[in-house]
Amino acid sequence: MTKFLNHHPTREMLVEFSAGTLDTATSICVSAHLHFCESCRDEVARLNEVGAHLMAEAEPETIDEGLFDKVMLKIDEPQPKLEANPVQKIGVSGFPAHVNTLIHNAKKTPVWKRLSKSMQEAKLYTGQNQFEVALHKICAGGVTPKHDHRDLEYTVVLKGSFSDENSVYTEGDFIIREPGDIHQPMGAKNGECICLSAQKAPIRLTSLLGFFLNPWLRINPS
Amino acid sequence: MENIRATVDKKIQSAPKVAIFKSTEKRDDKWSVLLVEVGASQDRRAFAQLFEHFAPLLKSFAQASKQDGWFPGLAEDLVQEVMIKVWQKAAGYNPQKASATTWIYTVARNCRIDMLRRKCNTQHLPLENEDYWHEPDEETPVSLLRQKRTEEHVKLSLGQLPREQDEILRKVYLEGKSHAEASQELDLPLGTVKSRVRLGLQKLQILVAPEFREELVND
Repeated sequence: MTKFLNHHPTREMLVEFSAGTLDTATSICVSAHLHFCESCRDEVARLNEVGAHLMAEAEPETIDEGLFDKVMLKIDEPQPKLEANPVQKIGVSGFPAHVNTLIHNAKKTPVWKRLSKSMQEAKLYTGQNQFEVALHKICAGGVTPKHDHRDLEYTVVLKGSFSDENSVYTEGDFIIREPGDIHQPMGAKNGECICLSAQKAPIRLTSLLGFFLNPWLRINPS
Repeated sequence: MENIRATVDKKIQSAPKVAIFKSTEKRDDKWSVLLVEVGASQDRRAFAQLFEHFAPLLKSFAQASKQDGWFPGLAEDLVQEVMIKVWQKAAGYNPQKASATTWIYTVARNCRIDMLRRKCNTQHLPLENEDYWHEPDEETPVSLLRQKRTEEHVKLSLGQLPREQDEILRKVYLEGKSHAEASQELDLPLGTVKSRVRLGLQKLQILVAPEFREELVND
């Protein structure tokens, strides 16, 4: 079973992901895409070969003599019993495991807050402050306000699908919004759509209502 | 379109034929075999051999890091942390998916990120970097064959990259610099950094144009 997706992270993102230099929030989104996209998983696996071979061909450094014994001592310490993977039991089926971890292992359970008639948002705590990471839910057939972006936003569809002026986005699709992009997402008619998003700055509503709402749209990285 | 397709096909056909057809069923390099033994029976002798080989390489990898907040004194801490993880996680190692060297590299990369995050962040961190790591479920012999082909080719071609491409890949993978940081340090436009990375990866035959991903995955 291979699902072919149309919208992928950029090549630079995959390179930085494999080198471990991509920031936390973007990594969370890329990883969510990898959950659905076999071809990007394969590409990351190939990219890891670069790091692996650079490491393997490095000039070996002398290791402190006592280090091996130190490691063996640590290994012999009794290990805390691993819980039988609680994440998978309580997680949302079909969601990437790390998103379920963010939802269910949070100190404060994320709650859905209504943003508009057809859209809800639940903020996720991710321990970084560059992006605001959240889940967004668009109800079946819901039309969201037209808005533009002041800064970068990444979106990954986790469930269902939505569309805008440009395309239809289905499960796993990775969407990049550049500053200045204006769009009006619409939920698919046949069911609700849930997306993961990482947003650098608050979106700006372009309608009159938006004009009055804007001062309250503040970014709250968490 | 047609041209790119032709190039990609040709590249794949011209991949080195070293050890490709020798073993499609099993990964039989020394380190992968030892790692499987550690996982299967907690074999300490096998682990000692892995330690002897990988600890000096891991220390070298750790000392190469030039990330903010990293200092050389952390190198042996990283070696220790990685080798303990290798012991604990060896049972989950699947030689069908990666060589021991690649698997240990990913463990080291994840440990390095987590050590940096823990140092720079006093907040509670909900995820460890290894949580982001996806293991594909499917196991196809074809993919093992392809992996081996990639591994062999990377191994053969890495030493032959032009200096500027080699330099940038080392900065990204060993020093741990983002493309943006690399562009600042080398005083090069971001676009130049990206294209050097891309050219380097093309020479290593790592990139598959997105247009062809589907047929390559499904064939």
